[in-house]
Amino acid sequence: MNIIEKHLAKAADLEKVSVGEDIRCKVRLVVAHDVTGPMAVEQFAKIKIEEVFDPQRVVMVIDHIYPASTVQARNMHWILKDFTKRYGTILYEHGQGVVHQIISENHAQNYGDIIIGADSHTCTAGGYGVIGIGVGSTEVAAAMATGTIDLEVPEVVEVNLTGSFKPFVTAKDLVLTLIGRFGTDGLTDKAILFTGPGVRGLSKDERMTVSNMGIEMGAMISFFADEDKDEGVAQTVAIELSEIIPVVACPYSPANIKPVQEVAGTEVTQVVAGSCTNGRLSDMKAIAEVLRGKHIHPDVNMIVIPASARVYEEMEKHDYCKVIRDAGAVLLNPGCGPCFGAHQGLAADRDVVVSTTNRNFPGRMGSREAKIYLASPVTAAKAAVHGRFVDPREPSGGGEN
Amino acid sequence: MDIIKGRVWIFQDNVDTDQILPGYAMAEPFNELGKYAMKGSEKVDFAKRVRVGDIIVAGKNFGCGSSREQAPVALKEAGVGSVIAASFARIFRRNAINIGMPVLEVDLREHFNEGDTISVDIAKGLIFKDNTTFYAAPLSKNALATLEAGGLIERVRKELGVEKRW
Repeated sequence: MNIIEKHLAKAADLEKVSVGEDIRCKVRLVVAHDVTGPMAVEQFAKIKIEEVFDPQRVVMVIDHIYPASTVQARNMHWILKDFTKRYGTILYEHGQGVVHQIISENHAQNYGDIIIGADSHTCTAGGYGVIGIGVGSTEVAAAMATGTIDLEVPEVVEVNLTGSFKPFVTAKDLVLTLIGRFGTDGLTDKAILFTGPGVRGLSKDERMTVSNMGIEMGAMISFFADEDKDEGVAQTVAIELSEIIPVVACPYSPANIKPVQEVAGTEVTQVVAGSCTNGRLSDMKAIAEVLRGKHIHPDVNMIVIPASARVYEEMEKHDYCKVIRDAGAVLLNPGCGPCFGAHQGLAADRDVVVSTTNRNFPGRMGSREAKIYLASPVTAAKAAVHGRFVDPREPSGGGEN
Repeated sequence: MDIIKGRVWIFQDNVDTDQILPGYAMAEPFNELGKYAMKGSEKVDFAKRVRVGDIIVAGKNFGCGSSREQAPVALKEAGVGSVIAASFARIFRRNAINIGMPVLEVDLREHFNEGDTISVDIAKGLIFKDNTTFYAAPLSKNALATLEAGGLIERVRKELGVEKRW
């Protein structure tokens, strides 16, 4: 068995599992947010039981629409507040940040634990050795009642990493490159397992960025192992990190990958930096270092959103907040921001958005005509300064930074 | 499970959840979601024109993107009887089955025109048009058990023995 199968077998109380087998696993945490949680609450009520399986293992986070931009959005908060009061579960309701970041900061888990969340980016937890699986609201409701989830054991695709990134190349460029290679459905129902000596050079922040976008290839799990090599995998893909170059996902698919060089010169009207993909301290630092002493281009709006209040606090301790404000960008409260098109910076037909988030499907951030490019924080920040894409490695792109 | 009969609506590859139910509509009350079905797609007036029992016939990776269960709920509320696609994104497929909306995997886009009337036998994975039968990949035992129970909530109630107490 490979390491993912070993963890699944343990959670299912089985000696051995094999690909395709239906198993029932115990879960460590069950998670939802203000968009998926209310439906989970409604479905849970239909089960008609008095308790959740373990109140300390049910966590809800109000992150998607906070502060509420509509009355209806605020009603969704109330549904979660009432549920929390009744069942004694855990709620983050004051804008503490994006669910996946909150879980990583405040809910320590053991290597190989399983968490399920009613959010597709629950796979982010694989970045710190926890098996995170995205599900829907009804499955969260069922797991709140039973403490288990039914799964089919996935085929595992190993990505073996060697070497290290060259300057101005980041974990975002790595994961976008992988999405370009596998396609948006290339790993549907499968698990990605990152191994190899290259893993050791990646920080927790970087690993979370990579795991986060596993779902953009359709994967069920996106997991970083301590192992240098694993056995019992379906396929192994070797990636030398020094060969990765800065790339962007062009409209309208996360798999439409091009080198930044190829889109250099394309004019940009809005830059969004943050989210569960790239809203952590190292991302904020990368943005601040590009913006330091500079001003964003007069034709560009720049919106910066820390992934959590803790990240925000660390940004204050350094001078990143001041640097970002002085450059003419707007700092928003921790949360999901405009990533999924509900509020805080929607794009119109004419907008060309560079975003450090995870999706650029038609209409993702507002108008179906708006063009969204997904990029690393450094590529996005440099585009904000120049008002157009520049290769972050070029001296003209501020590569001297 | 009953035979589903309805008109065909054709969609292509990679119809993501932002197209099935746009992010801005996610905070709408659940019984209002039908009005927004497919509003983010190229067929913006789908919700107005769809009739009960109609069947979506799509390409690969239908329902990719977010985990929002509002997407299959919107289709169900709008009256969609089933989705038949070349392939589904994992979470969408599970969500649809969990709310009792059957989905089958087979690419039938070349065989049907928009508006054709077809019928579907979910339990057997068969699709009929006129005198022709098409075969879909069989649903897993787990998926069939959930559909037969009427959705995951009903299945959990049964497994926990709650139905007897209420």
